[in-house]
Amino acid sequence: MNLDDFRNTWQQQNNDSVAAITINQTMLTEMKVNKQMKALTNMKWARIIESAVFFCIIVVLGQYIGNDFSVSAAKISAVILSVFAIVGLAGNIGQIVLVSSVDYTKPVSELQKDMYRLCAHKLQLTKLLFMSVPFYMAYVFIGFDVILGVDLFEHLAPHMVWFYGVSSVVLFVATTWFLTKLNYNNINTSWVKNVIQFIVGARLVSMAQFINNLESTER
Amino acid sequence: MNTTKKTLFAQSMEQHKGIVYKVVNAYCQHQDERQDLAQEILTTMWLAYDSYDATYKFSTWMYRIALNVAISYYRKDSKRVDKVNANEECIVQLADLSQRGERSEEIRLLYQFIGQLDTLNKAIMLLYLESEPYENIANSLGISKTNVATRIGRIKQALKHQFEAQES
Repeated sequence: MNLDDFRNTWQQQNNDSVAAITINQTMLTEMKVNKQMKALTNMKWARIIESAVFFCIIVVLGQYIGNDFSVSAAKISAVILSVFAIVGLAGNIGQIVLVSSVDYTKPVSELQKDMYRLCAHKLQLTKLLFMSVPFYMAYVFIGFDVILGVDLFEHLAPHMVWFYGVSSVVLFVATTWFLTKLNYNNINTSWVKNVIQFIVGARLVSMAQFINNLESTER
Repeated sequence: MNTTKKTLFAQSMEQHKGIVYKVVNAYCQHQDERQDLAQEILTTMWLAYDSYDATYKFSTWMYRIALNVAISYYRKDSKRVDKVNANEECIVQLADLSQRGERSEEIRLLYQFIGQLDTLNKAIMLLYLESEPYENIANSLGISKTNVATRIGRIKQALKHQFEAQES
């Protein structure tokens, strides 16, 4: 039996297939929402709440920078953290737009990429958090200034400034490499697959494998 | 949505509902999963019906939605969903593939082969079996015509090897 024989068999089963399925049309046309729509609506609300949180962080940091404005390590740190919060807010707004534009009549590859982007949100948030790791001293400087009213940077010995500077550069290189690798293009690399599965779950791994498979023969 | 649209949808659906049956059998192994997926496909079609462009074939539109829902379909905990479904009224009833009539053995073999393919090749295979031209398959899936041709060639080879192995 070859594929063309299969095709003939397939064509012959058309009537059987129609007879094998019974639809309650009245109940169907009364439907206003289904599981997927509910999941997308929940996703949209979650992104709206996250956006509100990011917005509050930006306002608080803005007030902190604005009050008694001076060029200090704590204020510069607040500017850096504000940039991360703005990136987070922009990403959330993008997600809300994406959720609203999900269209199941799109070609399969386009819709699956949209779905991947939606489901990868948690991964993107984790990436954003990792991106702030090289700037870990920013949290310390702000903490000392807010809680103790001390500008820690002024009290640091020069060799400690060097240590924090070099460690930040090393961490920046390491996190950049790590975050670039955490992409669906590298899903066949076992550690990438395991990390994505650990952060987001098996569903994203299977979507990433599908898109990667789709693109691999297109290249 | 007005009554005319409801009627039009019901008529088109009755005519092409076999597509839903074929897609769920290709993508799900268990009967309860098929039932659940069929319901998701049908409700998605109904909710998207407002955007249906009549210049396209209804069957092409249906296939696109059915494949998109089937590929996105994910059940984390099948037992949990089954309990939920038991309490829900069913929009759709599917006959069990294993209890079908005369041609059941050939059809079962066919679905068994489709079931072994990866997610994308299953979609290509379904559209190919419907005698869709390569260009339509490429448009529905959003991939190139060359990619479709390459993949169908590989599927043919895989099928040939499988039957040779069975015979030997």
